[in-house]
Amino acid sequence: MSQTTVNSDSPPARGDNALEQSLYAKRERIYPREVHGLFARLRLTGVAALMGIFYFTPWITWDARQAILFDLPARKFYIFGITFWPQDFIYLALLLIVAALSLFFFTALAGRLWCGYACPQTVWTEVFLWIERKLEGDRSQQMKLDKAPWSGRKLAVKGGKHAIWIVLAAWTGYTFVGYFTPIRELGQSVLSLATGPWETFWIIFYGFATYGNAGWLREQVCIYMCPYARFQSAMFDKNTLIISYDAARGDPRGARKRSTDYKSKGLGDCVDCKICVQVCPTGIDIRNGLQYECIGCAACVDACDDVMEKMGYPKGLVRYTTENAIEGRPARVLRPRVLVYACMLLAVIGTVVGSIVTRIPVGLDVIRDRNSLYRETQDGLVENVYLLKLINMDDVDHVYRLTASGIPGLQLKLDRREVLAPAGAVVEFSARLQADPYDLGSQSTEVRFTLAAVADEAITTTEQARFIGPGSGR
Amino acid sequence: MNEAEIPASQRIIGILWPSFLTAAAATVVFFALFDPVELLAYTDFADSSRVGVYTVGFFLFWLLTTTSSTLTSYFQRPTRTPG
Repeated sequence: MSQTTVNSDSPPARGDNALEQSLYAKRERIYPREVHGLFARLRLTGVAALMGIFYFTPWITWDARQAILFDLPARKFYIFGITFWPQDFIYLALLLIVAALSLFFFTALAGRLWCGYACPQTVWTEVFLWIERKLEGDRSQQMKLDKAPWSGRKLAVKGGKHAIWIVLAAWTGYTFVGYFTPIRELGQSVLSLATGPWETFWIIFYGFATYGNAGWLREQVCIYMCPYARFQSAMFDKNTLIISYDAARGDPRGARKRSTDYKSKGLGDCVDCKICVQVCPTGIDIRNGLQYECIGCAACVDACDDVMEKMGYPKGLVRYTTENAIEGRPARVLRPRVLVYACMLLAVIGTVVGSIVTRIPVGLDVIRDRNSLYRETQDGLVENVYLLKLINMDDVDHVYRLTASGIPGLQLKLDRREVLAPAGAVVEFSARLQADPYDLGSQSTEVRFTLAAVADEAITTTEQARFIGPGSGR
Repeated sequence: MNEAEIPASQRIIGILWPSFLTAAAATVVFFALFDPVELLAYTDFADSSRVGVYTVGFFLFWLLTTTSSTLTSYFQRPTRTPG
């Protein structure tokens, strides 16, 4: 199998100049031919499911508010029953680690599954291509239309296509912003042309990105812009599932009649119809071996199987296989690389789920009053003042009680005995701590504030602070 | 590979796109740690909306990362032409 283009970062060998230049040559427009078959159906299912999730999710209501809403102005993320705060940033970081590890795991196991079936670039390009096909016709009709001089019909077809693309892109931008601004209210303000400047900007920005990426850039995004496409080869090994042409069976290639005894003529199974090249969305010839442009969409597998069936040959001349299998060596699915990725993935997912389940929905920030170090009361005690910020991250109101510890005989003085915080609210209040200077070991002593909900002892949190004193107690 | 053979459009995308990605990541991390309202409370921009500050912040980050990528790209050019 030719490996020349797998690792795009390696310096080109002498013979690769033509290839290297083609990478940077002016782009030739690719007209992917429509394809039917098992993998096309799988991809269509994936596209429909992911599109459905994306466009439908913001409309789900949960507890009288949008089920999934990233409320940036209020700095709160609502995901069904749970509200996340900036203090929960760790979950976002963990989620990104889960996403990265999943990508490693699935890449090692089955190659570019993500690219071929789930990547938004693939999904939207697929939809845009479908619209194009409905209006302009199949591959050859599209090519003919592009070559033809401008006419009323061409203007109408092209104009109609772009109009539909723009409407879909605008709806996509609106849906995207709907994840950050309540989508129903956003819809009303869009209809009355009263969206805020930033909402308008992001709807247009995201809509334009969709239109540009899926309508115009297409495979160039994968080839030139996608970091994953460049580094995924690092996760490949000889047991990774790839799409490959079986050269031993197919070569030498050549056209022939269905009835010909091609084997006696010294021909392989490949009829050299080039349909696998025509269906490729990135315009490569899979028969040249594994190439980094290949997004693993399996369009060529479907196309070739179709031809093989018509010729009465066994299917699978181009198929999902592994480098080992092609070379006749045993292929192993469970190997150290896959197991390590799987264990890491399970460990991080377990951590995330575990910490969300045991998450305590109250937060406390303690800031020492910086205006004065300390003051002495009339009774000869040392007093420090603190500003406390209580965040009720639960979705019900709570009454909290505050205690302090860390110094013998420490006294906590509050304006009110209990603090009421409505659901999802931040309450700020001040607290004074008083201690006998005799009990202070040093100038700065650690103290702990403990906040507990009156109704539910499990909702409690402890925060540390420093107590400053004269430091000459003993 | 001769630098001059890379079309300008691809060089520009090669600068703008990675800086876009890093700027987006930087924006998320920065504003998760710092609340714009508290950050700007004592400045002339105290009346700005959060989403506005996020957007401006994103573009400032993008400007910064673009500058860095542009300089990298510029310094990668050969300092003299052979021959």
